Amino acid sequence: MKKANFKKIAVDGVVAQNPTLKLVLGTCPTLALTTMAMNGIGMGAAVTFVLICSNVLISLLRSVIPNQVRIPAFVLIIATFVTIVRLVMDKLLPDLYESLGLYLPLIVVNCIILARAESFASKNGVLASAADGLFMGLGFTLALTLMGAVREILGAGAIFGIVLWDFQIGFFASSSGAFFTYGVFIAVFSLCQSLIQKKRAKKEYQLSMASQTLDKVCATDEEVK
Amino acid sequence: MADRIFAYSSSPHVKNPRTTKHIMIDVCIALAPACIMGIVYFGYMAALLLVVSVLSAVASEFIYLLITGKKFKQIIQGFDYTSCVTGLLFAMSIGVQTPIYVPIIGNAFAIIVVKMIFGGTGKNLVNPAVTGRIFAFISFTSVMASGWVAPSIGAILGGSSINPLTGATVLTDGFATPTVASLSNLDLLLGTGLAGCIGETCKIALLIGGVYLVVRKVISPTVPLIYIAVTGLFTVCLCGFDFAEFLPSILSGGLILGAVFMATDYTTSPNTFVGNIVYAVMLGLITAGLRVSSGKEVVSFAILIMNLIVPLIDKFIIPRPFGYKKAKKGGAN
Repeated sequence: MKKANFKKIAVDGVVAQNPTLKLVLGTCPTLALTTMAMNGIGMGAAVTFVLICSNVLISLLRSVIPNQVRIPAFVLIIATFVTIVRLVMDKLLPDLYESLGLYLPLIVVNCIILARAESFASKNGVLASAADGLFMGLGFTLALTLMGAVREILGAGAIFGIVLWDFQIGFFASSSGAFFTYGVFIAVFSLCQSLIQKKRAKKEYQLSMASQTLDKVCATDEEVK
Repeated sequence: MADRIFAYSSSPHVKNPRTTKHIMIDVCIALAPACIMGIVYFGYMAALLLVVSVLSAVASEFIYLLITGKKFKQIIQGFDYTSCVTGLLFAMSIGVQTPIYVPIIGNAFAIIVVKMIFGGTGKNLVNPAVTGRIFAFISFTSVMASGWVAPSIGAILGGSSINPLTGATVLTDGFATPTVASLSNLDLLLGTGLAGCIGETCKIALLIGGVYLVVRKVISPTVPLIYIAVTGLFTVCLCGFDFAEFLPSILSGGLILGAVFMATDYTTSPNTFVGNIVYAVMLGLITAGLRVSSGKEVVSFAILIMNLIVPLIDKFIIPRPFGYKKAKKGGAN
């Protein structure tokens, strides 16, 4: 078995394959819950926990689960952990439980978790799957918290519940504002990525040119000799 | 023959000295009477809002173009006054009690998000002024939808209002209860004593502007006339065939402003004659239906909804190409 590349998993999870901004998965909680930054952290933490646990369990059971019934099996495993999260959150953080509402049980059918189970955990080792779950969850949490912060500052004039000023643009608190913010975030994210790629390509090009000229110089040197 | 040089060029082959710039200046001229009446009715504050709105619309366009790397000289050359019209329409569709930051934010949204991101003049999906107004309306509901100021002739001279009716317009009184309107039709037509937005109170001024546009052939009268007529007739139907509702329904709110200046926007109305009729009829039905059921002014929402349906209308109503004959049904293949 080949060794897991943890650095690649981390970069993929948080940046290159960010589940919210690059794969555009789990949009329903993204659009509905980002009215407040705190919601983003709560939802992100719940999803990260479920993602890590289900990834580990599925990766452990991947040789046992028959291929034909893998989806029901995955959903069953995910639902188990979602129930745990719900009960724990209801007991320890009743306020957050209230504000997440319906979207907490809906983590069961969250595309991110099923997609990672299907495309990663059922094909990779336990440690790599756990790392994948952690970093995918981090990417999701980061995206949700940032979007929540922007919408909270503009739509409610506050951040993490602390009132900054008495000026609200109601558009950003409404669902149309959610779509708008999401679109702008995806656009800015793609722009940053393409800029980085361009810079990298330029660097590689310069390096290859330098090595070519070096080759030429060497060749002419040999000819001279 | 051989040494004659032919000039090749792509269509259009027939050129007209009239450009977008001229058309937009015509629209500005047509809007002028209503603006002046707005200032006369509502005082200096209305003038300030109009000026701020136009300036912020133009500034938004310049800033966007500068960010995207255009040269300042190019922008000046390519400036076509469409953002002036957007700014004017925006200020005309807000109340005089609106704080000064609303037109600045609203116009920035209208120009940058609605127009420039989609590719600038002629490529926008929905009318920028209408969308900007709805953005501002949703965002600042508390300051925009309350505290209507009744106009007064003497406002600019510091006099007191001649008809101290504030708050409810005919629309907020509700069409659901078909009572006699608290204002006469003449009051509605002249806009005296009626609370409302800066540019929509004096219907006479708006109609003068509309007639000017039709005479200059900037707009065709089809859309405004059908839109206004259908709205009036459908309101009559919904209020139990009470024809006393006809005139108040077409003379109140922003219907004439919307019908003449916003629904006729070239980019966001259908390309064909038949398409335009469908568009105007649907506008009228939506406006009257929503007005009666919600008791609020909905012209801008109706125009926004129909703007989004226009691509669909254009897809299904296609003009017959020149020389094309419809294939006979059941004919030999």
